[in-house]
Amino acid sequence: MPLGSVVLAFVVGAVIVAVTGGNPFGAYGALICGGFGIACNGENPALQVSNTIVFIIPLITTGVAVALPFRANLFNIGAEGQLIAGSIACTAIGIKFSGLPTPILLPMVLVGGMVAGALWAGVAGVLKATVGAHEVVTTIMMNYIAQWLLRYLIIGGPLQLGPGTSKSQPIGPGARLATILPADNSLIIFGLPASVYRVHTGLLIAIAAAAVFAFLLWRTSLGYEIRAVGQSQKAARYAGVSVRRTIIVTMLIAGAFSGLAGAVQIAGVDHNLTDKYFSDTTGFDAIAVALLGLGSGVGIVLAAILFGALHAGGQVMQADAGISSNLVLILQALILFSIAANFVGAIRQRIPGLAGRPTAMPPELPPSAPLMSEAAEPPPA
Amino acid sequence: MTALSDILHLLVTANLWQATLAAAVLLLLPALGGVVSERSGVVNIAMEGMMLTGAFFAVVADLALHNPWLATGVAMLAGALMASVHAIVSIRFRADQIVSGIAINIFAAGLTVFLINRIYGLQDVGHVTQSELLPDIKVPALDQLPFIGQVVFQQNVIVYVALVLLVLTHVVLFQTRLGLRIRAVGEHPMAADTAGINVYLIRYGAVITSGLLSGLSGAFLAIGVANTFVPNMTDGRGYIALAAMIFGKWTPFGAFIACLIFALGEAIYANNSIIHISQYLLSMLPYLITLIVLAGLVGRSIPPAADGLPYVPGSE
Amino acid sequence: MGHKRYRFLGVVAALMVLATACGGSTPSTTTKQYKIGLVTDIGGLNDQSFNHLAYVGLEKAKQDFGIKDDVTESKSGDDYVPNLTHYASLNYDLVIGVGFLMAEAVGTVSGQFPSVHFAIIDGAGTDSKGNDLKHANVESLFFKEQDAGAMVGVIAGWLEKNGKAKKNQHIIGAVGGISIPPVDHYIAGYRWAAKMEDPQINVLVGYSNDFTDSAKCKTVAQSQVQQGADILFQVAGGCGQGVLQEGTQGGVYSIGVDADQKTADPSVIASALKKVDVATYTAIKNVVNGQFAGGALTFEIKNGGAGYAIDNLTVPPELKTELDKIQGQIQSGALVPPSDKTW
Repeated sequence: MPLGSVVLAFVVGAVIVAVTGGNPFGAYGALICGGFGIACNGENPALQVSNTIVFIIPLITTGVAVALPFRANLFNIGAEGQLIAGSIACTAIGIKFSGLPTPILLPMVLVGGMVAGALWAGVAGVLKATVGAHEVVTTIMMNYIAQWLLRYLIIGGPLQLGPGTSKSQPIGPGARLATILPADNSLIIFGLPASVYRVHTGLLIAIAAAAVFAFLLWRTSLGYEIRAVGQSQKAARYAGVSVRRTIIVTMLIAGAFSGLAGAVQIAGVDHNLTDKYFSDTTGFDAIAVALLGLGSGVGIVLAAILFGALHAGGQVMQADAGISSNLVLILQALILFSIAANFVGAIRQRIPGLAGRPTAMPPELPPSAPLMSEAAEPPPA
Repeated sequence: MTALSDILHLLVTANLWQATLAAAVLLLLPALGGVVSERSGVVNIAMEGMMLTGAFFAVVADLALHNPWLATGVAMLAGALMASVHAIVSIRFRADQIVSGIAINIFAAGLTVFLINRIYGLQDVGHVTQSELLPDIKVPALDQLPFIGQVVFQQNVIVYVALVLLVLTHVVLFQTRLGLRIRAVGEHPMAADTAGINVYLIRYGAVITSGLLSGLSGAFLAIGVANTFVPNMTDGRGYIALAAMIFGKWTPFGAFIACLIFALGEAIYANNSIIHISQYLLSMLPYLITLIVLAGLVGRSIPPAADGLPYVPGSE
Repeated sequence: MGHKRYRFLGVVAALMVLATACGGSTPSTTTKQYKIGLVTDIGGLNDQSFNHLAYVGLEKAKQDFGIKDDVTESKSGDDYVPNLTHYASLNYDLVIGVGFLMAEAVGTVSGQFPSVHFAIIDGAGTDSKGNDLKHANVESLFFKEQDAGAMVGVIAGWLEKNGKAKKNQHIIGAVGGISIPPVDHYIAGYRWAAKMEDPQINVLVGYSNDFTDSAKCKTVAQSQVQQGADILFQVAGGCGQGVLQEGTQGGVYSIGVDADQKTADPSVIASALKKVDVATYTAIKNVVNGQFAGGALTFEIKNGGAGYAIDNLTVPPELKTELDKIQGQIQSGALVPPSDKTW
């Protein structure tokens, strides 16, 4: 069904392009080339694939950070703030201990990022569990606080590189994740210098995060508790689950994933904090990834691939076909509409012969119904 | 300490509160829309997108029609159109209302810039001339009152409209039959249905109302406060309005108080040329205050019981 | 933008017709068609600021040189490297990055593609510590914003000193977007020149922390007006529209930035010009003429790359004399406007 929704979204998108005077075939040709390296017209396919993977990595990890709380009926809008907190911690540690070797420093910065992200999300979790403050409000507030803290730190604050800059020192070499191919300008691979392929070992971390998510949710007692709280807090309580504890733990874990995403981005790609994190939207795209991924580990990876490819492809589409990359946002929205509303199912029902096929939402979908009702009630003391 | 005394000194100036009220109204309108929508049982986090769409079409229409009132109408219709999409998807197709809301926000961000590229060919959108903006109005006599006169009665026309809408929303929701029905649909849709209330109609109406209000706010932003459209100019106000709505426990006046807190933070920040503290730390202030208030004073917010639940006839 | 390609084909067709009409005596020397790629920062082409101006320069170059031009708007900071790499990997003749936020990305990509020319507005190709890598294939286009800021500072200071402003309390304001070097350079020059003209002047400097939300800039401007400022200099891109508008609504003068903003609001008495369009055009011209050279090109008053425009103001002859005098002294190097943030 998600596949049908994607196709439907692309059809509607093509109509929008055509109506506004563009050529949808040219646009999609460039989009597919930029996203997947397929059907390219002169562009280097390996470069396109590599760029897409770099976008996919943080989407997987933050996607998990949104999907896990969803299962406990918690809506984590704060993945972005948690990601920023993680990247700040990673950078601060990576600068402070820049002399340490990789085997010591790399785990330090990654764990540091996870702890910072967990603390950031933990504020929302604790407030939810103790006084019942709605996590949507608190995570939005924590997003803004993270953004301003970041800006303070790199403009005039302790992490600023120097006067007149808006970025930090680079982290030490020991804090960096290696790229898969050597970062060598003189080595030519697939016709381009090897250093243009920026895929880094953070990919393995992201895939591991998705696997941990699936394992945690379905194979551990904590996962059972999370799902139980998500189904019904009342029932979970009767079953002896501590709702309060589960809410806090869920948010801590989710924050750790987001923080990890931020740390991996610094360690694998950026190597320093810059103003770009002020306009970063990874944590918000993650919401779409989590929803499209139907809350399963494999689904999240596939959804991240789609959204990463759209992001990378959109830029190439504007360069090559002259269609504004904002079309990609329209496509993302259409995909979400289409999946959420099960338009494809509705269309099928109208077509004789296809009616009767199952059109219901798959059981994998996170329990969307009481997303904002019961979950807001504080558990009894 | 100087920073603190600077702020305390500011707090007694009418100028600060005048700016606060205007900034609060930009948040209040979408927040009121959110209250109405969620009271009827439809979760609405799409105010940001509806507001952005309204801002864009307000400028497009004002440049074409040279009339701010018509342009405001167009903006409200544009907001309502986006709201209708949310309504159809979440009521008729029973989609996840949060997904739909997020989709609206992404859609609006993409569509507005995409259309600028298409309509204006990468050039500037253009500027609305001063005489074709939503005007500031000084209420005769009242504007001479000490303090209050400047704070309340020397404002943009939309500020007065918003204050009227605030009272109106409160009265309609809590003192009329219609309000009772809206709340009934949001709390116990099946009981309401049994009692002969058209659940779908009420919900469609409520969601579209939120679109009209958010579109109005967008128009105020684009052709009242500013005179042009800049991509993403709403700058997260829809999300702040969402927070204000929850903070205010789904009541119009509660939301208004929350909007005032955020707006006060913004207005204090605007005086950063005379406050001696890092402007970035100052920017955190309203968000920190909100967290503290939530933690200590306000605590839990309980939404309408059926908020977010698609209504399937015959089931609760 | 899909039509761009067709418009371009039209130009080529017209040129070909022209060539044949003239006798077509040069059959074998097919003029090389230069390919230029422009990458904006996250502000996008409709930022009513320097990205837009860079595009204006690109369009002008297209008309003059018949180049093939392509544009990519970066959606996030993560896009800078891939977008620059895209054009470089396709062997474009010149890849232009707009904005100092792209400095590190240009430094990285220019090292990977030493045979491709790069230009960057407001910066150099740097390493992660901000050191200029001095790649021979990078032309850094710098601006002395303080020159332009100083000229409008002269206007503001002179008006205050001679009682020709609206309130004449010797208070003027500047509203910056974010405290980054280009913004602070403008304000440094403005402050310096205003104080030179009117020693008792008080210059209020506020920041909106935003480049797009004009409501935020307007509130900062309002606060300055209420503190007595009657001339407001906006240095905040699209956000600054709110400052210009507050000019009329607050009954004070305003000063535009980057481009000539005369039409943005009737209160705009002057604009500080940073000719990003000229810089972009120059970089392209250098490539087309085979005069591309790595290193810094500085655009300042001396070479017409920075300056000012008088907008909705009738300039008294004394002020005109003063402006010409200061401009001459800056040109000759007798006066050097500061660029440091000292407030």
